[in-house]
Amino acid sequence: MNTSSDPSRLQGDFRLELNAFQHETMLPPPKRIRVIGLGNVLMGDDGFGPLTVERFHCKYECGLNVEVIDLGTPGLDLAPYLHGTDLVVIADAVHSLEKPGALCIYCEDDLITQGAQLRLTAHDPGLVESLAHLRLAGEIPSELIIVGVVPESCEFGKPISPAVFSASSIAVEKIAGLLVERSVSCFRRSAALPPNLWWLLDHRSKSLATWFTGFTS
Amino acid sequence: MARITIDPITRIEGHLRIDVEVDGGSVQKAWASCTMWRGIENILKNRDPREGWVFAQRFCGVCTTVHAMASVRAVEDALQLEIPANAQYIRNLILTGHALHDHIVHFYHLSALDWVDITTIPRADPARAASIADGVSNWPGNSRGELEAVQNKVNGLLGSGQLGIFSNGYWGHPAMRLSPEMNLILFAHYLQALEFQRRACQVVGILGGKTPHIQNLAVGGVMNAINLNSLATMNMDRLGTLQSLLQEMIPFVQQAYFVDACLLAASYPEWFRYGRGVANYLAVPDLPVDAKATKFDLPGGVIMNGNLGSVRTIQDWHDQPIRAAVAEDLTHAWYSGDGAQQPWKGTTDPDYTNFQDNGKYTWVKAPRYDGQPMQVGPLSNILVGYASGHPLTRKWTDAAFSRISANGPKLTPDALQSTMGRYLARAIRSAMLSDLALEHWQLLTDNILKGDDTTYNPPQFPQHEVVGVGMHEAPRGTLSHWVVIDKGVFSNYQAVVPTTWNASPRDQRGNPGPYESSLLANPVADPVKPLEVLRTVHSFDPCMACACHTLDVSGRQIAQVKVL
Repeated sequence: MNTSSDPSRLQGDFRLELNAFQHETMLPPPKRIRVIGLGNVLMGDDGFGPLTVERFHCKYECGLNVEVIDLGTPGLDLAPYLHGTDLVVIADAVHSLEKPGALCIYCEDDLITQGAQLRLTAHDPGLVESLAHLRLAGEIPSELIIVGVVPESCEFGKPISPAVFSASSIAVEKIAGLLVERSVSCFRRSAALPPNLWWLLDHRSKSLATWFTGFTS
Repeated sequence: MARITIDPITRIEGHLRIDVEVDGGSVQKAWASCTMWRGIENILKNRDPREGWVFAQRFCGVCTTVHAMASVRAVEDALQLEIPANAQYIRNLILTGHALHDHIVHFYHLSALDWVDITTIPRADPARAASIADGVSNWPGNSRGELEAVQNKVNGLLGSGQLGIFSNGYWGHPAMRLSPEMNLILFAHYLQALEFQRRACQVVGILGGKTPHIQNLAVGGVMNAINLNSLATMNMDRLGTLQSLLQEMIPFVQQAYFVDACLLAASYPEWFRYGRGVANYLAVPDLPVDAKATKFDLPGGVIMNGNLGSVRTIQDWHDQPIRAAVAEDLTHAWYSGDGAQQPWKGTTDPDYTNFQDNGKYTWVKAPRYDGQPMQVGPLSNILVGYASGHPLTRKWTDAAFSRISANGPKLTPDALQSTMGRYLARAIRSAMLSDLALEHWQLLTDNILKGDDTTYNPPQFPQHEVVGVGMHEAPRGTLSHWVVIDKGVFSNYQAVVPTTWNASPRDQRGNPGPYESSLLANPVADPVKPLEVLRTVHSFDPCMACACHTLDVSGRQIAQVKVL
C-alpha cells in the first residue's frame, strides 16, 4: 500500500513540517514588563510614584507587553503584580541622606544588601516581603529597578513639593532610558496625552491647585 | 510583673502597638494603641460627593474597594437613590473577589507563621505528608512531588542561613506544636496561595477596570457598559472569563484554605478557650440580591453578651436602631473632646499627648453601639448567621465542626467566641463567599440575558442638607461611612472602620475594646517571645492603615519587642 496516497498521512506530514518551520522562525515570547508607581497620592511627596507613572504613560507609548500601573500602597498585595515578570521598574519615594528631590536608582541587590540603609516609605515592607515570597515560589522578576526620589514631606493632605514634582519629569526620562537600554519598545508619543492628576486638582476650580505654577506635562 | 510592648504588631501593614502586663504566665492588663494619625476625613470636606469614593479608596492601599463602595453607598443613602440590579451584582462580585483575596492573604501570609514552624520542614516525610493531606482533601496541590519540591525550597532557604523576612519568626517556640508534615502541607499552600491571589485580582480588575483602585463606580451605580454584541463592553466572552476565574479559585478556597483552617483548629484546641474578649457582635447585611436592596445573601445582626439566642437581625441598611446606636468616644484617643460623638456630628481634630495608661494613648477613636464596645469581623458574620438560622452559614459551619471533631474537639457555635474561632470563622466565611461568587455571577448573567443593560441612575443633589450612611461588611468587619451633604458638597465625613471597632481604646466608662479585653488571661510562656499575644491580636486581622494614617514615615521598623 502506498502510504503517501493516504490523505490523512499527507496532512500529518505537512503539519510536522509547518511546526518545524514555525519553530525555526519563531520570535522568543515577549518579555513581561511592568512599570509600577508606589505611594499614597493623599500624602504629599509620597505620591511621587503614581505621579511619575501617569506622566510616563502620557509621554511614552510602549508595547503591549509593558503594563504601566499605579498600585498605590499595596503592602503584601504587591506580590501578584510582580509574579512571573521579566522586568519591573518601580517609582517610589525613598529615604536617603541626599537632598529632597534627588533621584536615586537601585537594583534588587541593593534592596537586600542595604536593606537597613535603603528605606522606602511606609509601604516598603510589602516590597521586601513580596519579593521573598516570590523567590521561594520561583516566580521572582528577573530584574527589578527602583527609581526613587527623596521626599521633602509626606504629610497627610499636603500637596506634592515643587522639588519632587520636577524630579518626576526627570524620572520619566530615566524610566524610558532604562527600557530602551533593554531593547523594550518605548517611543515618545507624537502628541503627549494630558495626564490625569486628579488628586492634585483644586476641588473648586478643577484646575491644578494654585500652589503649583509652571506645570508642564 | 513584666510589661511587654510590641510595636508594630502587624506583619506587614500598619502601625499598631500593643502593651501588656504579664504576671504568672498570663496577661493581666492590655492597651491597644495606634501610633499614627488619621486625617482621612478632613480631606473629603467640601468635596463633590460624586468623587468622594475616588479619594476614599486611597485611605488604605490594601482595602481600596471597600472604602470606595461604602462611600458611594453613603451618598446614595443620603439621596435615597436606588441603583440598578446589574450594578448591585457587579459590585457584589468585586466585593467577593476582594474579600476572598484578603482572607487568603491573611490566613497564609499574614498569620500562618504564628502557628507553622518552617524550621521543622526539613524533618518532614513528604510521602507521609501527602497521604495526610489526601486523607482530608482532594486538592491537586498536595501531591508528594509538589510537597517534595516545597521541602527542597525550604531546605535551600534554611541552608543559606539568609532567612530574610522569615528571620523574625518565633521558631522553636514551645507553643508551636504542628508535626513537620503538617508544617510542610501548610507552607506548600502558603506558596500556592500566591497564584490564587492573582486570580482574585483579575476578577476585580475585569469588573473594576483596574486593580487596585477600581475605576468603574459611580454614585448611582457602575460605569460598566453592557452590550452583548460589542467586543468592547461587558459581553458573554467577558462573563465567561469571569466564570472560569471564579471556578479556578473555588477549589483552593474549599479544598486547601478551609481544610487547612480546620486542621489548624483540630491541632490547637486550647485556643478555643482563649481570646474571647468583648462578646458583643455586630455585622451588617451585604451582597444585596435586588435593586432596592431589600434582600441580602449575607445576614446582619447584633448579639450582646455572647448570648446567641438574643440575636437581633438587621434586615437592611435602613435599620433605624444601628443609625441611632453608633457613636465614637474620644476620651482616650488623641483628638480634642471627651465622651461620645454621633458620626454625622463627629470631629477629627488632633490633640496629641504622650502615651498615658490612664489618659489618651492612641489615634484610634472608640466606636460604641448603645454605649457598648462591639466585636466586628468574620466571627460576627458567622455567629449572627448561625444564630439566625441562615442556611449557607449553617452548612459551612457544620462542615467545619464535623471535620474538626474527626481528630479534635467537638465544637458548638459558642466555642467560636475565641482566638481560634476567629481564624475558623474567616475560613467558613470564605467558603460561603466562594459559593456566593458563582451565584452572583449567575444573577448578573441571567439579568443581562433578560435584556436589562442598565447600570446607572443619575443622582440629583438637593439644595438643603441631607445625611446618609453607607454600610459594607468588609473582610475585617462592619464598615460604615457617614456623610453630611449640603448644597452638593460634603460638609462632614466620618469613616467608622472595622479596625476602629476592634482596636478601640477604653471609653469614658473605662470599658476596654475587643483587642484589649481579648488579651486578658492570654497565656505568655516567654515574655521575650510573646507569640501567644500575636496569635490573639492577629486573629482579628488587624490593619491599621485605614484605622489611622501616617504622620511620620521615617521608620523602617522590624517588629520590636520591649520588655520593661
